[in-house]
Amino acid sequence: MKKAVSVVMALTLMALGTVSFSRVAHAEEVKMIGVIQKIDLAAGGKSATATLKDNKSSKNVVISITDDLTLDKFKDHRIVEGDEIRCKFETEGGKNHSKLFRKTAGC
Amino acid sequence: MKTTATLAVISLSMLTAIAVSAAEHPGKEYIEKNGYKGPETCETCHPDTARKFLDTVHWKHASKVTNVDNLDPKEEYGMKNRIYTMCNGNDIVNNLKEIPKNAEGKTKFTGCNTCHPGNHLSDVGSTGKKAEQAIDCLVCHSGSYDFRQRKPSKDEQGRIVMGQDRSTKAALSITKPTVKNCMVCHESAGGGVLVKRGFAFTADTDVHAAKGMTCVDCHKTRDHKIPTGFDPNNWANDGVHLSCVGCHTEKPHKDEAYNRHTARIACQTCHIPRTGGAVAKDFTKWEKGSDGFYEPTTLKKEANETVPVYAWYNKTVSNTPHFIGPKGSRKDKSSKIYPFKIFIGKAFYNQKDGKLMSMDFAPPMATGDTLAGVASAAKTLGIKDYKPVPGWQTIYFGSNHLITKSKALNCVNCHGVNGVLNFKALGYSDKEISKLTNPEIYFNFMIKKQQEDW
Repeated sequence: MKKAVSVVMALTLMALGTVSFSRVAHAEEVKMIGVIQKIDLAAGGKSATATLKDNKSSKNVVISITDDLTLDKFKDHRIVEGDEIRCKFETEGGKNHSKLFRKTAGC
Repeated sequence: MKTTATLAVISLSMLTAIAVSAAEHPGKEYIEKNGYKGPETCETCHPDTARKFLDTVHWKHASKVTNVDNLDPKEEYGMKNRIYTMCNGNDIVNNLKEIPKNAEGKTKFTGCNTCHPGNHLSDVGSTGKKAEQAIDCLVCHSGSYDFRQRKPSKDEQGRIVMGQDRSTKAALSITKPTVKNCMVCHESAGGGVLVKRGFAFTADTDVHAAKGMTCVDCHKTRDHKIPTGFDPNNWANDGVHLSCVGCHTEKPHKDEAYNRHTARIACQTCHIPRTGGAVAKDFTKWEKGSDGFYEPTTLKKEANETVPVYAWYNKTVSNTPHFIGPKGSRKDKSSKIYPFKIFIGKAFYNQKDGKLMSMDFAPPMATGDTLAGVASAAKTLGIKDYKPVPGWQTIYFGSNHLITKSKALNCVNCHGVNGVLNFKALGYSDKEISKLTNPEIYFNFMIKKQQEDW
C-alpha cells in the first residue's frame, strides 16, 4: 500500500513538473519589427497596449507594455503612431507581453 | 555644548537647503503670467546664460582636442566635422535636410545635427543674439517636454526648421536634467537605440542608476560645461573632466589587496565587466527597411551582451585612417589597464591619399547608392581628386558605464585559468604570467572572501 502511495505521489510530482516546465517552454520569446498603428495608454499610465503591423506577415499584433521606460516614451510622445518598432514579446494568458520595445530609427 | 549647537545649526541649514533644492523651480507665477518665450524667459533670472551656452560642446559639437594624434591643435573637432566609421557622416556633410524620394515616392527629414539644441536656422556653432534665442533650453530642462513639437519641417521660405516645445506647460516643469533628458539624444546616437555606446543607464544595468543617481550627479555641470572622461573616441570636450576617483578616492576598497591594484588598473576594468551596442557596421552596403528607406548594415548587440577588450591607456589617443584607440604601455607609468568596446566599421577610403572619406546619408538612404553619398560629401568638402575604395577601421570606445559592484571582477576572473586579461598582449613575460596565474597569488584571499560571503 505504502509503495502504491509512493508511486502515485511520484507520478503526480512528475506530472506537475512536466506541466510547469511546459508553461515555461511555451512562453517563447518572439521577435518582430513592425509599425505602430495605435497606442492605448491605460488610465493612470501604468500600462499600455500598442498595435503593431508586423512587417513580415502584415498582420496586426497587440503588445502589452508595462515597463516604465517605454510608458514614459508614450507619455511624452518620443514614441508615436507611425514609428517602426523592434519588439520582443512573450505570449502568456492570451497576451503578448513586451520584453523589448524600441524605435528602429536613430539620429 | 558649543560644538553641539554649531553642528545642529549646520545640520538645520543643510536640511533647509535640501528642502529648497527639492522644491519647485522659482518663477512659476512669472511664467504663468507671461508665458514662456524661450531663453529670454530663462534669462530673466539667469542673465547671460544663453551667450555662455553658445561656447559649449553641446552647441558647437566641437572643441579643441589636445590628446589625439594627427589633429591640428588650432582647429576644433567633434561630431560637427569628424570622419570615422561609427558615424560616417557629420553635421557638415550630413546636415539636416529633406532627402530625395525613394522608390515608393516617400521622403523624410534626416541629418546628424537633428539632436542639436537649436532650431537649425541657428545651427551648430552659430553665434549672436539670434542664436542665443534659438536655444531649446527645455529639451534638457523640462520634465514634461512634448516631443511631437521637436520635429523638422519646412518654413514658408523652404528652410528646414527644427521645432521646439515652448509651451507654458513644459516651462512650468523645469528641472535639473533627468536621465531621460540626457538619453533623449545620447541613447539613440549612431543610428539607433543603444547602438553607439551600448549602455542603458537603468537600475538593472548600472549601480549608480540603481541608487537613484542621474547623469549630472557625476557629470556635474558648471556654466553648461559638462565634464567627461577620456574615451579615446569621444574627442570634443568642455575642458573639464571627471573620474571615479572624484567621489571614490584612490583607495576605495576595504581590502588592501584590491587597493594595491588601483595604481595600474582602472576602476572600470573590474567594475565594468560587460559592454554592448553595435560591434560592426558597413557603410558601403545599406539595407532596405520596410519603409523603403535604406540604413547602414549594422551588427547590433544589447547592453551587457559583449565583453570588453583590455589595453594600457595613458589618456592619449592614436588616430590613423584605420585605427582610433588608446596609447600607452606597461612601461609608461601614466598608463593603466582599461576596458574598451571594440567597434569595426567599413567605409570608403580615398585611394589617392589613403584618407577615410565621409558620406552624405541622403542619397543612400533614398536609393541605397552609397557612392552617391560619398560624391555628395566630397562636393561639400571641395574634394575633387578621389577614388573611393572600401576599407575597415577599428575603433576603441571607452567603457565607462554599466558599472557593477556585485558582479565586479575578482582575483580569479583575471588570475585564474582562462582569465579575462591577456597578460601576454599586455606586455608580461612567460615567467611573469606563470606567477600571475598561479593560485598562490589569490587562493587564500579568495577562500577568506568565500567564508565571509557564506
